[in-house]
Amino acid sequence: MSGSALKRITREFAEISANPLEGVVIFPIDADMFKWNIELTGPKDSPYEGGRFRLNLTLPETYPFKPPVLSFATKIYHPNVSNDDKGSMCLGILRSDAWKPSCKIVAVLEMARGLLLEPNPEDAVENSIAMEYKNNRANFDRIAREWTRSYAK
Amino acid sequence: MSATPPQETHPLDFRTLLYPLPPDENLSCPICRSPLLDPVTTICRHTFCRDCLSGAMGVSPTCPVDRSPIGDGDIQIAPVLIGNLVGDLIVLCPNASEGCTESVQRNMVEAHWRGCGFGMVECGGCGERIRRKDWEQGGCGHKMVECGYCAEEVRGVDLAEHEEVCPQLSAPCEHCLLEFPRDKIKQHTTTCDEAIVNCEAITVGCPWSGRRREGGEHAISCAFTYLKPVLLEHASRIATLENENKLLRRKIDIIMPTRSLEEEERTESGLDQQTIQILTEQEHVRNDVQRIFAVLQDMELKQTMLTMHMSENMRTREEVAMIGAAVNDLRSQIHGLHLLTLRRQAGTGPNNQGGSLPVRRVGDANPGGDRVKL
Repeated sequence: MSGSALKRITREFAEISANPLEGVVIFPIDADMFKWNIELTGPKDSPYEGGRFRLNLTLPETYPFKPPVLSFATKIYHPNVSNDDKGSMCLGILRSDAWKPSCKIVAVLEMARGLLLEPNPEDAVENSIAMEYKNNRANFDRIAREWTRSYAK
Repeated sequence: MSATPPQETHPLDFRTLLYPLPPDENLSCPICRSPLLDPVTTICRHTFCRDCLSGAMGVSPTCPVDRSPIGDGDIQIAPVLIGNLVGDLIVLCPNASEGCTESVQRNMVEAHWRGCGFGMVECGGCGERIRRKDWEQGGCGHKMVECGYCAEEVRGVDLAEHEEVCPQLSAPCEHCLLEFPRDKIKQHTTTCDEAIVNCEAITVGCPWSGRRREGGEHAISCAFTYLKPVLLEHASRIATLENENKLLRRKIDIIMPTRSLEEEERTESGLDQQTIQILTEQEHVRNDVQRIFAVLQDMELKQTMLTMHMSENMRTREEVAMIGAAVNDLRSQIHGLHLLTLRRQAGTGPNNQGGSLPVRRVGDANPGGDRVKL
């Protein structure tokens, strides 16, 4: 199983290296290719602009039948990222009941970057941040910018 | 050796095939992202490799693309058209890494692979694995054959390799390019006019090196060659002095044992056992001489004292002699007095009888027993 997983991961890594996503840099950290370090650049016109966010992408041995696990190593003020030392992001296609084996890593990364531009408060892990985002957008933007300045250097 | 070449014993793993051209994305499996293998289609009309879909079904019985539920009966072999399209894809021979340059349609690759000359097959004779084309050309190739040049026995497959190094086979001299048997080349190199040699005076620092035939010309103008005897003599003198220096250093070490240990070790290593023995012996002798010298001084002192005693003795003896003389003098005087006394006592008689007195000499027997004894 992991042999074919490795083959597909290698293929996907080659595709992403050939056509890099804007604002996404990838460094595989293990020779087995099952752990990737990712650096997201905060998108323009978002409170995360100018920040550099480190993420860990872990691919299960049963990939692509099981979804990858994505987590923020850099602290971020975001309704869809847990505000703890895990920084986990679990929504949409990353949920195992919504994951499809035909889904690619590049789609996962696009989704993560899309969430920086437009958080999804309906599917939040941090309800207080989601409330802030919905009801007091100015304050949300201010705190998110502050966190970006403090942590995402 | 059997008549038919040995066959691959296992089926070809199509998943390991390499595609020289980027495969059409539409013919790739959404799961493994490789061109479809043994394609099957779901009831929702998505197509996958058979193995990939069964893997996905083991995790979740839904379509890996649209997640609609599917059961075993909802999967069919994909349309022939799809099978033909992926079967026509060009792949590299699985033995490409062994040197095969063939690339064939995927539905033909197994047939090619089974007869590919670059496939490794087991030799029926000796059990070793060899390329199929080697097997076809010379059989196993592990039999011993005789080299046509040096008569050495080598394995048939190794003959070409052996001829690269065979000592009897001619090879060109790397300098003059004339051909010689390999085992003579070394000898030839020592006389080859084109060989690169150093100046004979390289030991004294001449940096020249060039072809042997130019060496004579160089030697005429080489300052090092002229100076070589002088330089060598200097070198030998330096060596002599160094040895001497080592000896002296060793002597200093014996005289001044406080010198640092490392220095001692350094000098000691340069001396032979015999020299050390001689020096130790010498040290003993030196100690003996010093002791004897001390004894001698003692003796001299004693002799001086003896001489003093002797002269004193002489003086005493002289005094004794003088005293003896004085005593004799006194004795004669006393004797004289004694006679006088006797004469006075006998003055009434003998004086009247004529006045002749018997003269007594010292030492005469005294009948009267009144002799003075000293």
